[in-house]
Amino acid sequence: MTTQPFVNEPILELRRRDARDALLAGMAALEPKLPIRAPMLIGSDRTEGDTLVSTDPGDPDRLVALAPRATAADASRALAVATEAAPRWAATPALERAEALVRAAAWLRERRHELAALCVRECAKPWGEADADVAEAIDFLEYYARGAISLDRGATIIQVPGERNTMRYAARGVCVVIAPWNFPIAIPTGMAGAALATGNTVVLKPAEQAPACGAMVVQALRAGGVPSEAIGLLPGEGDVGATLISDPRVHTIAFTGSAPVGLEILRIAAEVPHGQRHLKRVVAEMGGKNCVIVDSDADLDEAVPAIVRSAFVYAGQKCSAAARVLVHAAISDVLVERVAGAVAALQIGQADAFGIDVGPVIEREARERVARYAKLAAEEGTIAARRDEAIPAKGWFCPPTVATGLPAESSVLRDEIFGPLLAIESVSSVEDALDRMDGMSHALTGGLFSRNPRTIERVAACTPVGNLYVNRHITGAMVGRQPFGGNRLSGTGTKAGGPDYLLAFVEPRVVTENTVRHGLVV
Amino acid sequence: MVADSEVLDIGRRLDAALPSAARHPMKAIDDRAMDLASHDAELRAALFRFVDVVPACRSVDDLADHLTGLLGELGSRPMPLDVALQMGRSKPGRAALGTAAAAGVRHMAHRFIVAETPREAEKTLRTLWEEGVATSVDLLGEATVTAAEADRYARRCAEALDALGAAYARLPAQPALEADSMGPIPRSNLSVKVSALTPLLRPDAPDLGKQDAGPRLRELLRRAREGDAHLHIDMESFDSREAVIELVLELLSEDEFREGPSAGLVLQAYLIDSPELCDRILAWAARSQRAQPLSVRLVKGAYWDHEVVDARQHGWQPPVFEVKADCDRNFEALTVRLLDARPHVRPAIASHNLRSVAHAIAANRATGADERDVEFQVLRGLGDDLQHALASEGHRVRTYCPVGDLVAGMAYLVRRLLENTSNESFLSEQAGGRPLEELLAAP
Repeated sequence: MTTQPFVNEPILELRRRDARDALLAGMAALEPKLPIRAPMLIGSDRTEGDTLVSTDPGDPDRLVALAPRATAADASRALAVATEAAPRWAATPALERAEALVRAAAWLRERRHELAALCVRECAKPWGEADADVAEAIDFLEYYARGAISLDRGATIIQVPGERNTMRYAARGVCVVIAPWNFPIAIPTGMAGAALATGNTVVLKPAEQAPACGAMVVQALRAGGVPSEAIGLLPGEGDVGATLISDPRVHTIAFTGSAPVGLEILRIAAEVPHGQRHLKRVVAEMGGKNCVIVDSDADLDEAVPAIVRSAFVYAGQKCSAAARVLVHAAISDVLVERVAGAVAALQIGQADAFGIDVGPVIEREARERVARYAKLAAEEGTIAARRDEAIPAKGWFCPPTVATGLPAESSVLRDEIFGPLLAIESVSSVEDALDRMDGMSHALTGGLFSRNPRTIERVAACTPVGNLYVNRHITGAMVGRQPFGGNRLSGTGTKAGGPDYLLAFVEPRVVTENTVRHGLVV
Repeated sequence: MVADSEVLDIGRRLDAALPSAARHPMKAIDDRAMDLASHDAELRAALFRFVDVVPACRSVDDLADHLTGLLGELGSRPMPLDVALQMGRSKPGRAALGTAAAAGVRHMAHRFIVAETPREAEKTLRTLWEEGVATSVDLLGEATVTAAEADRYARRCAEALDALGAAYARLPAQPALEADSMGPIPRSNLSVKVSALTPLLRPDAPDLGKQDAGPRLRELLRRAREGDAHLHIDMESFDSREAVIELVLELLSEDEFREGPSAGLVLQAYLIDSPELCDRILAWAARSQRAQPLSVRLVKGAYWDHEVVDARQHGWQPPVFEVKADCDRNFEALTVRLLDARPHVRPAIASHNLRSVAHAIAANRATGADERDVEFQVLRGLGDDLQHALASEGHRVRTYCPVGDLVAGMAYLVRRLLENTSNESFLSEQAGGRPLEELLAAP
């Protein structure tokens, strides 16, 4: 099965009614099960609880999941189990581990409609985004399963007569996965899947906002045949994460989240506590402040919808989302007018209705944060569009907002806001735009609209971003097609869904054997 | 059942009636350029990407920069293009090159786009009318991404209906174009696009676009009824198919449109499920209480590349036939079904494929209907020769005439150019000298 070449799991063809009906049926199947009891899973121990609660961001009165809150003692126990299980899982043939992942993918595929519904409920992902989340999780499993098999063959190195050189990749040990809520199925599956495929055992701490989605990931992996000792689940908040990352039994930390937390993890992981005989490795994906450059020769018919989609779909809550548009002065007025008009046409509402572009943000604090920046944008610049009138009474909704004329030093142009707020700046040239991009500490995604091959070449050559998208939207990286990850303070430079991602989860070992005996090569 | 021998006879007659290229010296130049482009995929891409960006260039220098940039990407260049690249290295050279290139693109655009406004199109419409050719005017425009743009397009359509009404009122009678055995046929005919009437066409939520475009389209139907014009609603990509078909059938079912206007929609034969859609349309038409038959324009479909690429990128089965012969066979089957569905529908066969057209003529004769009871439609710039041949053979022809400025028209122009140079296009096969018997053979 794993010998078939990788292909992306098709997202649902939602332009067909039967595909939409299947998702609605998934929601109908899910609703009676709410709230879901998302357990803590340590080896074969299952603990339920209700101290951690997730609610529907569109209707905070609706409970989605109840989970226990893992303690430091739970974290320690989970690491003990994972440590003990590590040698056996590492010794399991790569092919068997890969087959377990592929079966986990099949488990997700069978339940994709209901899982998408769970993403809608727990994280307010609009249907298309929710479906893509599940498809991406399937992709990660299928892709890393294949990647691990080929990695297991080792690297090709130089051989000379009289010696035999091999370079193999061994599992590092225990991997702690700290996952975000914005891709509540895909990202934990990807990080845990990569670690497991390469023979590491995993303790997963899902986002506190999405314990039910996290539980599904672990359920899928275990159902696929990953031993319960090799994948543990610790629902909880930042404290349990902090306990995990400082523990000397941990070898690798895979993290996706905000830059402050990521930097703290890097700092703590750099310490070598008493008894730790290895260096921890951190795979961190830390968000962005992503710019789209629009040159004067851009096709605005394409640029405008792509910008609006990149900035506002899922309320801008993607690390790849567009936050700044740097548009050539010659077309800046037209672009602002058309973007403002397109923002006025955005469909704002509950994520469970088809056609919704902008749902609520994840939680109250997120709404307050976005509101703070929107207020600042109004004070420091000009508001070109703001959809206050379209905000539903219930739920953590933020009005999609477009600001222009912000001063260069404005924090609206610097900080990752992670909400539906887009700044448009007029620039004198592409060079001017590149200078502004170069002044930023984030370098995750970027966009360019230009129809001049020389401009495209120039921007591609000097932009620091990890993923540059030319003449299209800047979100929606596909596994295997757009390996994804940022540079600078956006991340450690690893590329999720790329050909070398798994290298972050292994340690290379070279063996050189002298095959000369008594002067003869034997 | 249509006999192939008859199709062949009709095809030969039409072919003999095609005007020779010598009558249009400028057109021959275009054909050579297109011929060059259709034999070199890289060059074709570079040239079309250049045509696409022309209206966005700010100066002749900027034009030259884009042209040399695109040509510079080519592995090998025909000689004249190497010269162009060299010209791009000096400032006066760039000015000359930019000016020439812009003129070339404008010339090409004028072959496909009749004028910038309906009023300016009057002369062309009159000439065609006098030659015995009716028209359907299509207003080219930028994509609609805002409500204001949708309103603007609707306003342009309303104004176009007025302008067409005034223009056609001044023209002499052409009885052959103004009625068939099902009744009178309006002189003014406007084609509109639902995607331009709303920014809310969402593939996963057809109701959104329907609800938003509905009031604008209803106003246009009223305007058409008042001005005794025909309103034709174009079909676009598969993403919007549900919304468009439902919207049109729902609006035309409203009581206020029972007596008019004459209206129509499009059936795309490249869609694998087009026979089912045809069922739906015919069932609706048979039930309909409307005074005029529903016009159904049968086309192969203009978004084939888009549909295939879009489906491939998503891992979906393309909604279109991928083998040309399958599409051609389906076109013929649908032709027969539409002809048989008269008088509930008024079929319009829109193809530049001589075989498809000849087949429709033969199929119509086989039903015993009048020659005038089937309309043929061609595109301005692509189907001009066929238009002449059909008109001179006494068939009822309507030419689809895009109107708009160069910026707005570029997407249309590039689509037409790509179509004209695609290897499987009937026109390029015909131009490539493939024997007539092969071209006219059953698909």
